[in-house]
Amino acid sequence: MGSSRSSLSLVPDGQQLLQETGFSAAHLLRLHERFRFLDKHGRGHLRSEDLEAELSLNPIGDRIVGAFFQPGQEAVDFPSFVRVLAHFRPMEKNRTCAAVQPERANSRNRKLKFAFQLYDRDRDGKISRTELLQVLREMLGLQVTEEQLQSIAERGIQEADLDRDDAICFDEFRKSLEKVNIDQKMSVRFLE
Amino acid sequence: MATRGRSGFGRSLPEQGLLLLAILVLLDGTVMTLEAEVSSETDTHEGKNNITKKLFPVLGIKYEEVSIPFEISLWVLLASLMKLGFHLIPRLSNVVPESCLLITVGLLVGGILKLTRDEVPPVLSDQIFFLCLLPPIILDAGYFLPIRPFVENIGTILMFAVVGTLWNAFFVGGLIYAVCQLAQDNYSKINLSDIGILPCLLFGSIISAVDPVAVLAVFEEIHINELLHILVFGESLLNDAVTVVLYHLFEEFMDSGSMSAVDAMLGLISFLIVALGGVLVGAFYGILAAFTSRFTSRTRVIEPLFVFLYSYMAYLSAEVFHLSGIMSLIACGAVMRPYVEANISHKSHTTIKYFLKMWSSVSETLIFIFLGVATVEGEHQWDWIFITATLILCLVARVIGVVGLTFIINHFRIVKLTTKDQFIIAYGGLRGAIAFSLGFILHSDHKKIFLTAIITVIFFTVFVQGMTIKPLVELLAVKKKQETKRSINEEIHTRFLDHLLTGIEDVCGHYGHHHWKNKLNRFNKRYVKKMLIAGDRYREPQLIAFYHKLEMKQAIQMVESGGGSKLNSSFPSTVSMQNLQPKVQSPTSAQPAERALPQLTKGREEEIRQILRTNLQKTRQRLQSYNRHTLVVDPDEEGFDNLILKKRRMMEMDYKLKKMTNYLSVPRPQGSPTMSRARMASDSQAYVKPGAKGVPTIQIDLASPQSPESVRLLNEVRQDQGLTMSLPSSSSRAYKTGGKDDSRDQKLLRCLSDPGPSADEDEDDDEDEPIPT
Repeated sequence: MGSSRSSLSLVPDGQQLLQETGFSAAHLLRLHERFRFLDKHGRGHLRSEDLEAELSLNPIGDRIVGAFFQPGQEAVDFPSFVRVLAHFRPMEKNRTCAAVQPERANSRNRKLKFAFQLYDRDRDGKISRTELLQVLREMLGLQVTEEQLQSIAERGIQEADLDRDDAICFDEFRKSLEKVNIDQKMSVRFLE
Repeated sequence: MATRGRSGFGRSLPEQGLLLLAILVLLDGTVMTLEAEVSSETDTHEGKNNITKKLFPVLGIKYEEVSIPFEISLWVLLASLMKLGFHLIPRLSNVVPESCLLITVGLLVGGILKLTRDEVPPVLSDQIFFLCLLPPIILDAGYFLPIRPFVENIGTILMFAVVGTLWNAFFVGGLIYAVCQLAQDNYSKINLSDIGILPCLLFGSIISAVDPVAVLAVFEEIHINELLHILVFGESLLNDAVTVVLYHLFEEFMDSGSMSAVDAMLGLISFLIVALGGVLVGAFYGILAAFTSRFTSRTRVIEPLFVFLYSYMAYLSAEVFHLSGIMSLIACGAVMRPYVEANISHKSHTTIKYFLKMWSSVSETLIFIFLGVATVEGEHQWDWIFITATLILCLVARVIGVVGLTFIINHFRIVKLTTKDQFIIAYGGLRGAIAFSLGFILHSDHKKIFLTAIITVIFFTVFVQGMTIKPLVELLAVKKKQETKRSINEEIHTRFLDHLLTGIEDVCGHYGHHHWKNKLNRFNKRYVKKMLIAGDRYREPQLIAFYHKLEMKQAIQMVESGGGSKLNSSFPSTVSMQNLQPKVQSPTSAQPAERALPQLTKGREEEIRQILRTNLQKTRQRLQSYNRHTLVVDPDEEGFDNLILKKRRMMEMDYKLKKMTNYLSVPRPQGSPTMSRARMASDSQAYVKPGAKGVPTIQIDLASPQSPESVRLLNEVRQDQGLTMSLPSSSSRAYKTGGKDDSRDQKLLRCLSDPGPSADEDEDDDEDEPIPT
């Protein structure tokens, strides 16, 4: 542990991040290396271009990039980087600590919240029809017509919107995904 | 329990069922006996007639010409009637799984045949089994294999199939050899220590394989959750390769009497060839089938035949080269399915589905009956030590194997396997007819005792484990299969999460699961789909296809629920797609010009109209005669609520759409030839209200077309009192918000809302889903 602890000191806020996110020291170091790799100009923080280079082919790439940045910020430092990725750790099985500790980053709720925020770009707490439409347009792109997208978006809202306010709030979002195994769908094994 | 008054004989239905069964068994036995006698009679007649001039035979019996097809048909008929009979007796089929009952029937029939004829036809010869009975079952399993859970768990499945089976084979084989050597001679009739190590290993390899037929038969009835089902079932399918290799390996070296390390290495290489070769052969035929189906748009009638033929060829080709036929068949079915389904018509799809189900069901029934018959027929040698040792070793090996492997596998899995899961996996390791057939074709000195032991193990697993697994599942409260359908939201969000995960993996620089899946999808979309899917459909993304399916179902649902409402939400999408003048350049609209309109091909549009039309025509009869097999509306109030809400939403959306006249560049209803064809074709049962602008509407006439007053439209009531019917207004607004509460109609509708046997619907959704890309 000695060697890793000394290299851990190179990582800003290393100890605190360990506790907060639940990553192991080895993982944290690996992520730090990756961070430095992405940070091509050695600035110590990442800008959106650095991330976009990796996500160019991804239909929702710009949303994912946007999720790393706090609103208004243009740079993301290592702790924020790690905190975002902490959402994708596989969930642990021990339920005894759940009540004691504050909710971990990789709990089901937090994962869903993260996904929800990707949809809800204007951060008003609801996914409106236009936002859903935008997502569909990005995913399906040029392959479908506008009318089809509208119909799908309409149907999606109809199905999920229980309080009939024409938008999907977080609870409705969560309810519509209750049968999906979020742990499997939103975890990257690499980060265990 | 049926009422006493119904049947004229005063007997209740279950008793009738039992009587039917008994009669059938006797009948079959007597026919077989009769056949033997008749054939001998005709021979003697021939001899006599050579001498005298014979009179013209007015009536004659020529049985031997049709004897083989006749016998086959009789067996199949017996099997089907048995199946029918069991389902008439609900209590019995709840307690005892079908496979047990069928084996019992087989034993009975075999017993009768033995008594009457002193010999039993060798019905479970390996030819019949491997070439005729097994392929339909495996094809059915492979074609409808749920790809996503299978691929997600492929690592686990392979571990269980390969390592687990190897472990089982060597454990059982080795220890039974040890037992044989240690057994004292005065307890057994035969000299157990004569059995060499290689025959023991051969025996072990035969008996260690989990059997897909038995697993299917038993697991089908317990409705366990998808993960466990796919684990055990996938294992039973994939261990065929291991079994084939081990069997051939040990059989080869049994003659030479010894095995060296080089042979073991060759065995390993052979395994890889067998497995991969089988898969490649299957994939090759699958691609051929997909390619062929691209051109079948004019000969829809023989489309199902291609699917069956190519699959069977894949199986036979693999068997020629001693590759794994089962894996080939699975690969063929799984590879061809997404492409074929995109190409063939709806009817062909239904035909394929039902033919496969029918054949596999009959095959399964026959296999179990024949197993019973063959048990009676075979020569047995009972040895307490050997057989009990085998049984115990099999069970122990399975448990240790599963526990050990799970321990290793859980390190690599995100969703770990719990103890309960492990128990079910271990308990679900049933042996079946494959083991029997392999034992049957053995050329060993100790064939009899091996065969007896195999049959005992099979019987034990099928009877004891098969019967008790259901109560155990209940007792342990294992998660059951989720019955509900996927919503469009789930589909959208799942795909969104897929993209998200791929992105995160890219950010982390990790070439994980999602990365490769994404690459495969992209390859698939760019090259493969273009080649194998006819027309423009290859461009249609998964989500759209799913959405179409949902809309179609909803349209049918609405019509069946007595819906006289505008089929609105389905039509904007379908109508806009049958845009006859393609949108070339619309500089005024905001849409980008390069968006090519995927034209709804005539075939698809025809199908949608067909479905709606046939349902329209049937609606009249349905309302008058309550038929519980055809209705799909939810019984609970919430379901109705949703339906009403949906309809209201669609109405509102329609109002909005009507305002935006330049939104849809849809030709007016009168001008659209397809729409007017739809109108004409449905004759008097549908007419379009003239003067409706924008979205064309179809209003459905449910009653007889005699008078305009009898035209009824379904209406909604604001207070959500349920669906009611009311007379139409003469104004252009086709709806009234208040309706007269016709209590009789309401009661009828509530009656109609019984969903009836829902197994069909569930099957539809689970299996119709093509590969999620």
